[in-house]
Amino acid sequence: MTAWVKIALRNLIKNRRRSLFTMLAIMLGFAAVNLFGGFTTYMYQANREGSIYSAFQGHLTIVRKGFFENDRTDPLRLLLTAQEMSEIRDVCRPISDVVLVTPQLRLNGLITDGKVSTIFIAQGYVPSSQEAFMKGTRLKLMEPFEGNRLEDDAEHGIGISRGLSRALNLKIGSEVVVMATTAEGQMNALDAEIFQLFDAPSAGMNDRFIRVPFRFAQQLYDTDGAHVMSVLLDKTVQTESVRNQLRNVFKQKNMDIEIKTWNELSEWYTRVKNMFDIIFLFLFIIVFIIVTMSVINTMSMAVLERTREIGTLRSLGLKRRGVLSLFAIESFLIGVGGIAGGGVINLLAWLGINYYKPLWAPPGITVKIPLQIIFTVEFLFYSIGFLLILCLVASLIPARRAANQNVVDALGHV
Amino acid sequence: MKSIIVLNQVSKTYHLGGTEVHALHEIDLNIDPGEFVAVWGPSGSGKTTLMNLIGVIDEPSSGRLIFNGHDISGLSDNDKSELRNLSIGFVFQQFNLIPVLSALENVMLPLQIRGISPSEAKKTAMNRLDQVELSEFVTHRPDKLSGGQQQRVAIARALVTNPHLIIADEPTANLDSKTAMKVIGLMRKLNTSEGTTFIFSTHDQRLLDNVSRRIHLEDGRILEEHP
Repeated sequence: MTAWVKIALRNLIKNRRRSLFTMLAIMLGFAAVNLFGGFTTYMYQANREGSIYSAFQGHLTIVRKGFFENDRTDPLRLLLTAQEMSEIRDVCRPISDVVLVTPQLRLNGLITDGKVSTIFIAQGYVPSSQEAFMKGTRLKLMEPFEGNRLEDDAEHGIGISRGLSRALNLKIGSEVVVMATTAEGQMNALDAEIFQLFDAPSAGMNDRFIRVPFRFAQQLYDTDGAHVMSVLLDKTVQTESVRNQLRNVFKQKNMDIEIKTWNELSEWYTRVKNMFDIIFLFLFIIVFIIVTMSVINTMSMAVLERTREIGTLRSLGLKRRGVLSLFAIESFLIGVGGIAGGGVINLLAWLGINYYKPLWAPPGITVKIPLQIIFTVEFLFYSIGFLLILCLVASLIPARRAANQNVVDALGHV
Repeated sequence: MKSIIVLNQVSKTYHLGGTEVHALHEIDLNIDPGEFVAVWGPSGSGKTTLMNLIGVIDEPSSGRLIFNGHDISGLSDNDKSELRNLSIGFVFQQFNLIPVLSALENVMLPLQIRGISPSEAKKTAMNRLDQVELSEFVTHRPDKLSGGQQQRVAIARALVTNPHLIIADEPTANLDSKTAMKVIGLMRKLNTSEGTTFIFSTHDQRLLDNVSRRIHLEDGRILEEHP
């Protein structure tokens, strides 16, 4: 251990109460930033996974150009034809990152048990694709459903949201009639059986959302086409590159379609992320101010108390940068101590959460889901690096004052 | 013989608020290697200012100060720090040991500032502590040492770099009579055996009786020199 580290360490121990309070500020700051950071990472992941996998949206959504502009005057124009669906599959197939390409229809209409009817919004999807979606997600956030799976070859079996089942007093096995207008504007109705109950992706849709097999949706809409081709990728990080690849091919083929990424379609995710980013910024600023002020205060006290010592060291030949280093080392050690303590708090919190597995209901979601803290190595390294640099920079203000002191004045300091 | 210190018309003026205080007036002084010199005079006579200038921790307002043949006026702060570390040792009235370091670590400090390895610095420091008869107290911190022991650690620290010059500002002022005599004897012995130049500021008659040259300072001027 060099003399300078020894001096710094022993001075910290000598003034242990003051050092501990500063370390405590850093400790709590580090823990707060990382725990909240871990929570936001979990929230982002939960929302992302929810959008991509739980809602069967996939990473990319391929639609007819103008589909998202909500112009419903010509429903036929918004449909992808069977030939286009086949072409899209052919384009996607050679891309190794693509796991699944599956069609979907988005419908709305009336659902009735023969006595009472109410409106619904339906997602028509290929039931056999559910396996691929559920396999891709790492966060098992929600029980996917209660009851039986929807089946490709049991077209009359549909799933309804729990809110809707309560509204119409429907149970698994209940028979209903689903009515909607076809693509050409005619009324159509099909008999269906409730196969499953599930929680809708958002609370606002829980009293009207249903999922039907794709073939059922095609029959109801009287079409062999689809509104959407959902593309599921191996990894979320590949989203943008695959979109660009597909865009180029579709452009070459002169196809009248557009591709949206999962986050472009998930307004909820973007809003939640923006909100948490702002909260994190506030927390970060508070931690920044507390740590900076604590370190400056501690180092200023140290400089004041050790003015004569600084004069002595300077008269023995220590250069100004040596004095700077001395206080920087002291501040660095405070930072290391604080971060180590904060690390212990983080670990205890993480262990506690994993042991007790607390449940909570995030806003907009109808069920309680497990609370998690997801620490990322990158975030930990950034926060450690930032706090250590902050300690060093904050110590520079008093350390510079110490280094620039007149040696004679410093020696004469009482 | 080339003088180790040459002061040529050196003056020092301090500005205290709106008042100018003339601490030294056009001092001319030569100190040769191996001298054992005391600067004495009443409080406020300019002793400490003179010692600070000779110790290169302060700068003259006018005049030239030559240390070992080099004019120090053109030196940067880093150069002066190096000069102090290589050529000058300091002994302070209040001992000025670093409280969190042991006697040995305090003595090693000037060598470590120079960048000498801890093992070599330790060896040299142990020799110096042995020389001042403190080898049994190497692990003691300053607060566990008596005043005399602390001053002997300070002398060992001043000597550890084999400097050309040791500056001692009132080195016996805080010591009892017996300890003061012991410290004076030790410094005299080191001066004789190693030829190290010592300059003291002092009021202490016992010290004045033991020096080879006395410089009497009053109102910032040299009144007389003996011999």
